Amino acid sequence: MSTNERWTEQERRARELFDASVEGLDAETRSRLNRARQAAVAEVEHARRSPWRAWAPAAVAASLALLAVVLWRGPGGQGTLPSAGLVEGAPPAEVVEMLATGEDFDVASEDPDFYTWLADRGLPDTNGTG
Amino acid sequence: MSASVSLDLTTLARLADAEPTVAEDTALESATTLDRFLASVERRAFRIAQMAVRDRDDALDIVQDAMLKLARSYGQRPSAEWRPLFYRILYNGIRDWQRRRAVRSRIFGFLPGSWPDEEDPPADPFERVASDWPEPSRQLMGEEAMQRLEAALTELPARQQQAFALRCLEGMDVAEAAAAMGCAEGSVKTHYFRALQALRAKLGEVW
Repeated sequence: MSTNERWTEQERRARELFDASVEGLDAETRSRLNRARQAAVAEVEHARRSPWRAWAPAAVAASLALLAVVLWRGPGGQGTLPSAGLVEGAPPAEVVEMLATGEDFDVASEDPDFYTWLADRGLPDTNGTG
Repeated sequence: MSASVSLDLTTLARLADAEPTVAEDTALESATTLDRFLASVERRAFRIAQMAVRDRDDALDIVQDAMLKLARSYGQRPSAEWRPLFYRILYNGIRDWQRRRAVRSRIFGFLPGSWPDEEDPPADPFERVASDWPEPSRQLMGEEAMQRLEAALTELPARQQQAFALRCLEGMDVAEAAAAMGCAEGSVKTHYFRALQALRAKLGEVW
């Protein structure tokens, strides 16, 4: 017997052993497999009766995306920072934006009369020392 | 006029109830076909899973999970695609189980005197040692021979086990086994050849 023929015989033997072990499964195992199969088929039946369920995850994701866009654009317009009132003690959003953009802060040269008047009027005491 | 319209609508509703739509017919046929397919593979899949994880309840869970995933994700696909898909899902489940088992073993390994499953301590590894097997001259039949085959298969690398189970035990051709294993046909041939070589070395004297 050649090696190939021998292996063919061994493969056949393995298949027979496996088939016999499948046929020899006990009743409880067969019953549990049967119930598992029925549950799987019921999934298909359930999906047929409620086709919207297949779209539910996509609908939820779309809703969340829409909500995020609405919150982002919000009443303050596209991509604005939250107003200062949201965080106690934080500077106004306009100030933060001005600082972030690196604008020229030499405003006194633009309107010296106004700042002279402002200096004469006196600044409020921010240190609480009176 | 109104009564006539109402009657017509009632008649249509009754007809709609009495005769399922084409879509319903198709879905019902699909469920029946799926039932037949799963019935044809469930026991063999269970035995393959049981050989891989060596635990009856875990094997049942893996097969049940594979059935549900096939129904949910691929129930509407052509039935000709189900077999390789099912076995691919099955082997993914087996692989996940083995990973979880390895993690549990590592975690519980730090606790002296405790097993991952108190009611199911790991089998004595010496039970699988060749010296405990019957004499090679003894003719092996039935369950005993299958147990030896299972023990030898367990010692093979996972991909060789898969190739042997799908090609030899399930009778898949190379292309179908490659689809189930998610690899090239050449890899299936290599894994299968090596599995046969290893099994011949382990069982050749008594097989």
